[in-house]
Amino acid sequence: MSTATGTATAARVVDAVKVYGAGDTAVRALDGVSVDFAAGRFTAIMGPSGSGKSTLMHCAAGLDTLTSGSAFIGGTDLSALDDKRLTLLRRDRVGFVFQAYNLLPTLTVAENITLPIDLAGGRVDQQWIDALVDVVGLGDRLHHRPAELSGGQQQRVAVARAFAGRPEVVFADEPTGNLDSRAGEEVLGLLGRAVRQTDRTVVMVTHDPVAAAHADEVVFLADGRLVDRMAAPTAEKVLDRMKAFDARTTADTSRGGTP
Amino acid sequence: MNGATARISLSSLRAHKRRFAGTFTAVLLGVAFLAGTLVMGDTLKAGFNAMFGSAAAGTDAVVRSADTITTPGESQGIRDSVPTSLVDRIEQLPGVAAAAPSIQGAGQLVGKDGDPVGGAGPPTLAGNWIDDPQLNPYQLAEGRAPQKSGEVVVNRGAAETGGLKLGDTTTLRTPDPVEVTIVGLATFGGADGMAQVTFTGMTQADAEKYLTPEPGQASTISVRAGPGVGQQELVDALNPVLPKGVEAITGQASAAENTDMISGQFLDLFTTFLLVFSGIALLVATFSIHNTFAIVVAQRTRENALLRALGASRRQVVHATLIEAAAVAVLASAAGLLGGIGVAAGLQALFPAIGFPFPEGDLVITILSMVLPLAVGVLVCLGSALLPAVRAGRTAPLAALRESQTDDSGASRRRAVIGGAFGALALGITLVGVLVSPSLVLAGTGAVLALVAFVVLGPVASHRAVRILGGPLDRLRGVTGGLARRNALRSPKRTAATASALMIGVAVVGLFTVFAASLKATMDQTVSRSFAGDVAVSAPAFGAGGSGLSPRLAPALADLPEVENAVGLGRGVAEVNGAGRQLTVTDPAGLARGFDLGTVDGSLTSLGGDGIALARDEADQRGLEVGDTARLAFTDGTQQPFTVRAVFDRSELAGDYVITREAWAPHRTQDSDTLVAVTFKEGVGSDDGRAAVEKAAAVYGGPEVQTREEYAQSAAGGIDMMLTLVYALLALAVLIALLGIANTLTLSVHERTRELGLLRSVGQTRAQLRAMVRWESVLVAAFGTAGGLALGGFLGWILVKASDGASDSAFAFALPPLPLTVVALVGLLAGAVAGLRPARRAARLDVLRAIATE
Repeated sequence: MSTATGTATAARVVDAVKVYGAGDTAVRALDGVSVDFAAGRFTAIMGPSGSGKSTLMHCAAGLDTLTSGSAFIGGTDLSALDDKRLTLLRRDRVGFVFQAYNLLPTLTVAENITLPIDLAGGRVDQQWIDALVDVVGLGDRLHHRPAELSGGQQQRVAVARAFAGRPEVVFADEPTGNLDSRAGEEVLGLLGRAVRQTDRTVVMVTHDPVAAAHADEVVFLADGRLVDRMAAPTAEKVLDRMKAFDARTTADTSRGGTP
Repeated sequence: MNGATARISLSSLRAHKRRFAGTFTAVLLGVAFLAGTLVMGDTLKAGFNAMFGSAAAGTDAVVRSADTITTPGESQGIRDSVPTSLVDRIEQLPGVAAAAPSIQGAGQLVGKDGDPVGGAGPPTLAGNWIDDPQLNPYQLAEGRAPQKSGEVVVNRGAAETGGLKLGDTTTLRTPDPVEVTIVGLATFGGADGMAQVTFTGMTQADAEKYLTPEPGQASTISVRAGPGVGQQELVDALNPVLPKGVEAITGQASAAENTDMISGQFLDLFTTFLLVFSGIALLVATFSIHNTFAIVVAQRTRENALLRALGASRRQVVHATLIEAAAVAVLASAAGLLGGIGVAAGLQALFPAIGFPFPEGDLVITILSMVLPLAVGVLVCLGSALLPAVRAGRTAPLAALRESQTDDSGASRRRAVIGGAFGALALGITLVGVLVSPSLVLAGTGAVLALVAFVVLGPVASHRAVRILGGPLDRLRGVTGGLARRNALRSPKRTAATASALMIGVAVVGLFTVFAASLKATMDQTVSRSFAGDVAVSAPAFGAGGSGLSPRLAPALADLPEVENAVGLGRGVAEVNGAGRQLTVTDPAGLARGFDLGTVDGSLTSLGGDGIALARDEADQRGLEVGDTARLAFTDGTQQPFTVRAVFDRSELAGDYVITREAWAPHRTQDSDTLVAVTFKEGVGSDDGRAAVEKAAAVYGGPEVQTREEYAQSAAGGIDMMLTLVYALLALAVLIALLGIANTLTLSVHERTRELGLLRSVGQTRAQLRAMVRWESVLVAAFGTAGGLALGGFLGWILVKASDGASDSAFAFALPPLPLTVVALVGLLAGAVAGLRPARRAARLDVLRAIATE
């Protein structure tokens, strides 16, 4: 399974297995997945509910630990890190955008954006932040509280925060799940621009073919296994592929999955 | 209320047991305190009853002087003695089996180590040892009765305290030192003593010699009836033959009077004191409980809205919350009741171990001491939950569809106006009650209103206060501190309610700290203003208990070559124009030299046998001036006109009425001085003078010789002891307040699960998260402590000024910087401690699950 040749790997998992529960109720959310996420690329992870796509992202990002196999950010093996080092790694080398509840209600927009840097006690690169604020287009809202922003605006702030510390990779978990199509389009556009214009790496979990179409590449998961990859995706191509999985999954007996 | 409502609330209670742990503990502690106090009070009372009953079982009648003189502030009147010669006459009456004179006076034993035994409160008694064992309230436990002069029986408790054994020889201060040998140990009503009262029994001749001004007088006569004669029958037979001014009462009535005296002077005061503090603890608990329910209801908005959408009525939602509260209340109150009974039982076992003879007997648990704590516990809990429950009922069904939000209102204009009005009213009433027309009622009303104003204004003030108090945090603790500060600012109402509990606790601590410091300052001021001598020789513990000083001490000191002037102050009582008053019995000329009496009208040197000197305030009140005549009636029934020969300004140490020893001599009882002021001759160094005085005083039982500063400090010594007790009692209220803070934080942490997850996911370390929660706790505590200190200081000022206005002596107001700083630091530290558990819980949070939480 090769990605674009010549590019470095920002994150990867090798033989990733994640089992929830034990005994009869054990669920294999990941069943031996190996995948590389190339640096400087926008990758989407797709799959039906219960396919293990969120689990894959959580484990690759160091939010969750694998049952077996290993996950790497750059050259760092996450399984070798304790909670404190994992936290510092998340703070310094990874960015996150979640589906909802991305911002701290007590902090202003500006403070939310620089939160990871402030937590690290680091110096804020004001030029970079200004550029980010410019890109997300919230220059006039910097001193507002999240409650005063629309959902789309909040998610744009979250995107700015994810990139604020110049992380090696940004993980986005259904970032458009709670937004209407227009706001969602804006957020996806932002993620795409960030990758292409500033050479960042984004890994996004989504179940929306339209969202996946913004990525450079789509990896497909089903039943905890990597089943396909698609370069230069379009919404139609992705939708067709997904329909094929759906048919198969429905044919299969239903099995407990993790969201 | 129907089954479904109850089922909903009980299942929710089961599901969220932890949320109510704080409420449960708060109610439990408050109720346990209350129940423990009631049970202990009843048990002590019953114990004393039984003790006096059994001690006086053989005495069927008591013959005593009929008239008493009661001075203000004393619960028991002072009686004259009766002639011992009555005993023979009484014994010849039909129906009388035996009669014995009982001579009672003050006598303080000196222990093995040379320190006096007792005297720090309870009386130190001495009397004649009555040989008839049935008439003697004390029973011989070891050894034998005194047979010759110098032999004494001592109650076992006193002997143990002083490290004295049978056969030991020691000194008895009557107050003149008497060498005595202990030949017997006694018990009282089965206990080692009558509480901590010490008793020394001597031969009748010794008692007459040392305890009465002249032989032939006894305090009372105890009478035992012959077979088949009832107590009342005996009294009826006695009364006709007794001379005028002498009466007989039954033994039961006498025992009841004794019990009442102990109850009135000690037990009731003690119980009331404890009840006040359990009230404070429960008041603090009210805030904690209210807060818990308010938060729980807020967190359950969606759930309640869903119930309403499904057709539950407002009433049903309110009931569901109240049933939950009632379940917690009943369980916690019942547990508290058991705890309180346990505490009382524990104290009953503990007291004898620390040398306080707790009367024997079973715990007395009355219906009242069971029902009252239960009722109070349930009412406090339900009352605190009422408002939150009503608010729960008002939940709109549509709220189920909305994003749940925490209540960040509170700093409303209306609240500010109402709180401000209360504050202004409090200030106004207080100022009038303190400065314009001194009145304790007005001042008290002002104090209560001030408390209300503080509580109402809490949310208004919390915003600004937390901003200011938390200001340094941003700089010191960076983003962690900033987040903590903002979390504390989030819900002003919640922050204020949490802090209010601590505020009340700290306010009471502050009030007592300030009042105690003011009392000390007053004492200091009194001594430095009024005491003109170089050293003071004082009876230990500021005149409470003990036997005082020998009246011969002052003349002996005056004869020393180093001493210019030595004057002793003795005490007497008389009715002055019909009102019972304390008299100061002294040498008035010496008094004017040893004390600064301020401006004196008339002359103190010529009082003689029929002159009296008055303090200005008292003279003004009674409408007396120099040259007027005052009629004094003494306990022996004699009346004598006295001419006012002097009016002086400062009565703090000298007392309101001064007469000469010469005038007092015909009416005196057992003589003693409470204070001797000594002035050295010119050129005598203070160390030399003091050494000479100490040497001379050693013969008189070695009383303490103190410089003016030492005297002022020792006079204030009792205040520190009292303050320690008050702090210990308030610790419970503060503990409840801290539990409240911890509980609120835990609930807040629960509420912010997702937020904490987000923080962790973007790189907040566990340590940072813990610090954030802890600092929030410290901030809330800082707000409560600051408010409490301000309120406590104000209440202390009111109390001092009101006392100043209500009494003749001038009170000084003092804000002690060191103790108040310590209180503030303890408040902050306690806040940090209260934050530990919530912080640990928050840090344990699983990041992924936190993000996934709905």
